[in-house]
Amino acid sequence: MTGLRRAKTIPVLTALVAGLLALSAGPATAVGSEPGGLQTLIDVAEPGDVVKLEPGTYDGGITIDKPLTLVGQGWPVIDGHGEGSVITVVAPDVTIRGVVIANSGNRLDQENAGITSDLSPRIRIIENRFQNVLFGMFLRHAHDAEIRDNEIGGMDLFIARRGDGIRIWQSSGAVVEGNHVANGRDSVFWFADGITVRNNHVEDGRYGLHFMYSDGAVVEGNVLERNSVGAFLMYSTDLTMADNVFRSNRGPSGYGLGLKDVDGLAVSGNRFVENRVGLYADNSPSRVDLYHHLESNVFAFNNIGVLLGSTVARNIFTGNAFIDNGVQVASDSTGGLLDNEWSYRGVGNHWSDFAGFDADSDGIGDIAYEIDNLFTDLVERYPEIAFFTGTPAAQAVDMASQTFPSLRPEPILTDDSPLIRIPAIPPVPMPAEATSRVLVLLASLGLLLAALVVMAGGRFRLSEQLVTGGTP
Amino acid sequence: MTATVTTPGFSTPRVFELRPVTVIARKVVREASRDRWFWLYCAGFAVLAGAITMTAVPDQNLIGSGGFGRTAASLVALVQLVVPLMALTLGARYLAGERDSGTLVFLLCHPVSRTEVLVGTYVGLAASMFAAVSTGFGAAGLFSALRSAPTDPVLLIRLAALSWLLSLAMLGLGLLISSTVKSASTALGMALFVWLAVVFLGDLGVMGTVVATRLPVGALFATVIINPVEAFRLASVVALDGSLDALGPAGTYAVDRFGDGIATIAVGVMVAWTVISGAVAVLAFRSGDQT
Repeated sequence: MTGLRRAKTIPVLTALVAGLLALSAGPATAVGSEPGGLQTLIDVAEPGDVVKLEPGTYDGGITIDKPLTLVGQGWPVIDGHGEGSVITVVAPDVTIRGVVIANSGNRLDQENAGITSDLSPRIRIIENRFQNVLFGMFLRHAHDAEIRDNEIGGMDLFIARRGDGIRIWQSSGAVVEGNHVANGRDSVFWFADGITVRNNHVEDGRYGLHFMYSDGAVVEGNVLERNSVGAFLMYSTDLTMADNVFRSNRGPSGYGLGLKDVDGLAVSGNRFVENRVGLYADNSPSRVDLYHHLESNVFAFNNIGVLLGSTVARNIFTGNAFIDNGVQVASDSTGGLLDNEWSYRGVGNHWSDFAGFDADSDGIGDIAYEIDNLFTDLVERYPEIAFFTGTPAAQAVDMASQTFPSLRPEPILTDDSPLIRIPAIPPVPMPAEATSRVLVLLASLGLLLAALVVMAGGRFRLSEQLVTGGTP
Repeated sequence: MTATVTTPGFSTPRVFELRPVTVIARKVVREASRDRWFWLYCAGFAVLAGAITMTAVPDQNLIGSGGFGRTAASLVALVQLVVPLMALTLGARYLAGERDSGTLVFLLCHPVSRTEVLVGTYVGLAASMFAAVSTGFGAAGLFSALRSAPTDPVLLIRLAALSWLLSLAMLGLGLLISSTVKSASTALGMALFVWLAVVFLGDLGVMGTVVATRLPVGALFATVIINPVEAFRLASVVALDGSLDALGPAGTYAVDRFGDGIATIAVGVMVAWTVISGAVAVLAFRSGDQT
């Protein structure tokens, strides 16, 4: 919408900016839409120039080999025509802003991208729209890159044939903020230290965010929904995950947040809602001298709230809310999770299925919360039995073990200070799902009306006899 | 229906006409609407379904607008218990009850064939179950709309349709019981046993087999899905989650092997139970000399 508004003021702005730039920064040039014009223009520009694009379509496959600013106004389109990468950057201090980057090639082996770069520190990719590109951007050696407010739409391909919305490799200090990535494969950060990933919205991909060997990242305020995995952090240290929303990430091995060999992690204020598994941790922390704090997160309506590898230890869960998960916490094989802390300094977690009481009204349950479901225990030992999750038979198994203590398995966790009420956790902005209350109302009333009509149909005029015409 | 009956019933034996079927079906619906058991079931189902949607809605600031998935899952769990119980007992009690009270003899004195009586009863009970299921899901939807809880109307109607399909399969079994046993109390006892078997014992048996023999996942999937209650659950899980990925190795196997066909298979199982049990009930009722 801002784009449209901006488009109206183009003539004025164009004149103004062109005039100002002519006076101060050097030559600013606008080009028409003749084929090949853009590359020629970049070739003749001096380092540091601002190349301004007016609305129109420009041929892609261009290479930027000097520090330049490429600014589009009124959404000029750079079209790769389905061949190779649309823009290749091989110089520092390049800024690309306000353009539509469309139709890259679809060769995964060549990593065709909207913007591909190498040795391009301080590249700034701001407010662009990527359409029908294999990779959105693939940046190598782009230290201190700034990727902000881009709209990235991938190709309509089978998910493994797609490219990554954003891939950043060997680029420390990058800032990725406010981008919207849809229909990509992954958003990958490899060997990228000290990056910031904030307020992005990644949906309908495979791995919403994927960190490998990327230390010191701050990941906050992102919304990751309907991916196979919301975010997977691997082999990285000193990470902060705060106030992110992980929703409906439900692939066959789908997790909201997955952790593998992560050391030094703080997870707080996140929402894990309707995922297959909210949080999964394997060998994290891997160092024996480290504790991970997981605090003030909400795990709600997941099939499994938290799933931990059976050897996982030294995670401290405190002040979290576990609300109506199919299984609140489980271990991925037999054995308990007792080497993790489920309450910390007298503050445990809120469990929606806590059946205890709080006689002294201090907000802390007077008896411990334990997870000792026989059905879950059976699933851990015989994974096939997971097929019966949600059946009355599964509930019968649990009920039997509650009734006959001899059947009750060892608890996999104990929270000595369960919170009676859901702790106050500050709200995070979450995109609303489009459900119409009117439609629900209509559907329900329709069902009730149908029931009424059927029942009334039986009562209506039964005076006609059973075999009208058949009896004399 | 506009089919007119011109054949005098006394002279030529008839097998099947449409008009007596609709008349009997309407009689059955009318009687269901007078049956206090039917209303008790309906009310119980509607109240429980409404209660699920009332209690399952948490603070939206905390979790955003999600949450209908778990509500719907609870509704599915409720249906697995209540709908088979309702349909089985309704079907089993009906003809056997008529027989006990002597009204069946009276009915069969009329120029109607036994097939027409059974099919008419089936259609009438199916219509009554439709009303019961629609009331329950309508109440659930109404409560969540009034509370502005997130609800997917399409999913609501799909689950209602699947529940009705389950009730058809269970009605078939109920009528089969009804047309083979002599008294209403025997029929009720048998219906309760069948309910126990399809809802609990079947699954518990397969679970035990898995523990004892490590049943292969393919066999596990096959033995589970032929149970109509399980077919309903699996079709509902597909409607809710899009696949069976959350159901462990057997679920993953089913997705891998059948892909999008799982829902079709599950619906096919319920239709097969409906048709086969209905057909066998017709045969049993026709050949039966007990009135």
